[in-house]
Amino acid sequence: MERWILVSIIIGVYLAVTLTIGLLAGRRQSHSVAGYVAGDRSFGLLVMYFVTGASVFSAFAFLGGPGWAYSRGAAAFYILAYGAVGMAPFYWIGPRISSLGRRHGYVTQAQLLVGRFPSRSLSTLIALLSLIAFVPYITLQMRGAGIVIETVTDGNIPLWLGALVAYGIVIVYVLGAGVMAVGWTNTFQGIFMVVIAWTLGLYLPTKMYGGVGAMFERIAEFRPELLIPPGLDASGEPWSWGAYSSLILVSMVGLMMWPHLFMKAFAAKDDDTMRRTVILFPTFQLFLVPVFLIGFAGVLFPQSPPAPDFILPFMVLETGLPPLVVGLFCAGALSASMSTGDALLHAAASVVVEDGIGPYKKLTDHQQRLLMRALVLLVGAAAYVAALDPDSSLVLLLATAYGIISQFAPTVVAGLYWKRATTAGALWGLVAGAVTAVFFWANPELKPFQIHEGILGLLVHVPVLVAVSLATPRQPDRHLTRFFSRAPSEATPPGSTPADAEGTAPPEVDGDTGPGSLPHAAR
Amino acid sequence: MSLRAARILTGTYLVLMVIFVTWPGMVPFARIRPLILGLPFSFAWVAGWVLGALFVLVALDRVESRHREDD
Repeated sequence: MERWILVSIIIGVYLAVTLTIGLLAGRRQSHSVAGYVAGDRSFGLLVMYFVTGASVFSAFAFLGGPGWAYSRGAAAFYILAYGAVGMAPFYWIGPRISSLGRRHGYVTQAQLLVGRFPSRSLSTLIALLSLIAFVPYITLQMRGAGIVIETVTDGNIPLWLGALVAYGIVIVYVLGAGVMAVGWTNTFQGIFMVVIAWTLGLYLPTKMYGGVGAMFERIAEFRPELLIPPGLDASGEPWSWGAYSSLILVSMVGLMMWPHLFMKAFAAKDDDTMRRTVILFPTFQLFLVPVFLIGFAGVLFPQSPPAPDFILPFMVLETGLPPLVVGLFCAGALSASMSTGDALLHAAASVVVEDGIGPYKKLTDHQQRLLMRALVLLVGAAAYVAALDPDSSLVLLLATAYGIISQFAPTVVAGLYWKRATTAGALWGLVAGAVTAVFFWANPELKPFQIHEGILGLLVHVPVLVAVSLATPRQPDRHLTRFFSRAPSEATPPGSTPADAEGTAPPEVDGDTGPGSLPHAAR
Repeated sequence: MSLRAARILTGTYLVLMVIFVTWPGMVPFARIRPLILGLPFSFAWVAGWVLGALFVLVALDRVESRHREDD
């Protein structure tokens, strides 16, 4: 039998197992929005750990990471550097978000922020910015899946078909079961990814060079420029410290602001679960070490892949591994892509329905679930079309999205910790930050020291947020007390499930703190 | 250790980590040799900070959970 057929069979079996796990998990969850979006708040430590890890480690880490190590050398270390610091504040912020979510019935990031800063405009803005950031991120995952399948099947299954099949499966279980499916499939896929990465990462350097140290000695001899931070830029010239450092910073700030990660705080069973997930997170970061080793193993290899993003599947094929290993590897890389893709699709649909449409039109639980499913299909289709564009680059897609996502950070911090912050401050800060980030993204030649546009956005965002907040009347004590109080709010009577509260929580938006945007500024 | 001390130490570690894995803190360590466990020095340097973060966070959690039990 030809190798690619055997490989395809292994991939097929793997995909079937994933689909089964996803659909079985969904049967245990309640048919409510809280069930679909927040998994009835029932994730234990094992699931939370892998959900978080597998959602963070995507096709970007599994394919883009080695691709960077291969083509840009030490520049790739930025991916290793940001995660631990980016995640750590969630040790404290996570349980706070989680308890607010349980008390007020929030299931999305924007609901939490609008609970503090009542404004429909803010809710819509957050939904819109999230969607803008999500589509390229989902595109990246689909393209990643397609790249892997096309390469290891020797082109017999082209990118468009590979991406279509892999994401068809993701969509089936996200539609069928919501976040519970995402949780259990990620656990399965997460374990798979870790095992595959460490095995290959140590095997390839040993087989090709006789060891990790021997491999780096050789690279140091022939391509020393690759091993000295900040590495190289896309054109092979030395990269600037400004770009390297600010990319780390913006990723630290933005990491947990991704709605699909932020919303996991609402899905955690209890605070201890979430804290443990945070403290164990650096173990997931360290998994990048073998992933980079795979990329470095390709540096002195005589042949080169069609593009740096292909280096991982390329190395797996070129080193003549048995078809079983190739198939399993391919499944691991697909895991990375699909486990992030499902979380992204699910979060994108939840955010648009809950935050983009929810504040304007009251929908029944049933209607919301239907609409979310329609959106999963729609967003999936949009991303798929973009994924077929041969010019898109995995890393560029994500770096751009971070500029937008990081702008949520000041709003979240002010919302949770700064009582003097006002709705007008939050709204105008976010607008100013996002506009600045987009401006410098469109005009990269104007960026000082090549600093990432997200950081430049934050430098405008924070002063605007503070200044406008101080210039507008403080929020009424009654509102602050109700938001921050430890007791359950009126919207969530004790004993009711979050699902019951769903229908009553959103009215806070146009409740006694005034309808529409800028209620406090207007007063 | 008191809760306050543990939080300050953790915060300090994270701030130092940000400084030492970016400009300017990383500049003196942006070199290849000596290889550490076979890895170029700068690679091991970043990985070391991540590993350190794991230990610091585990230590923090021990202090924090002891204080939560006291409540």
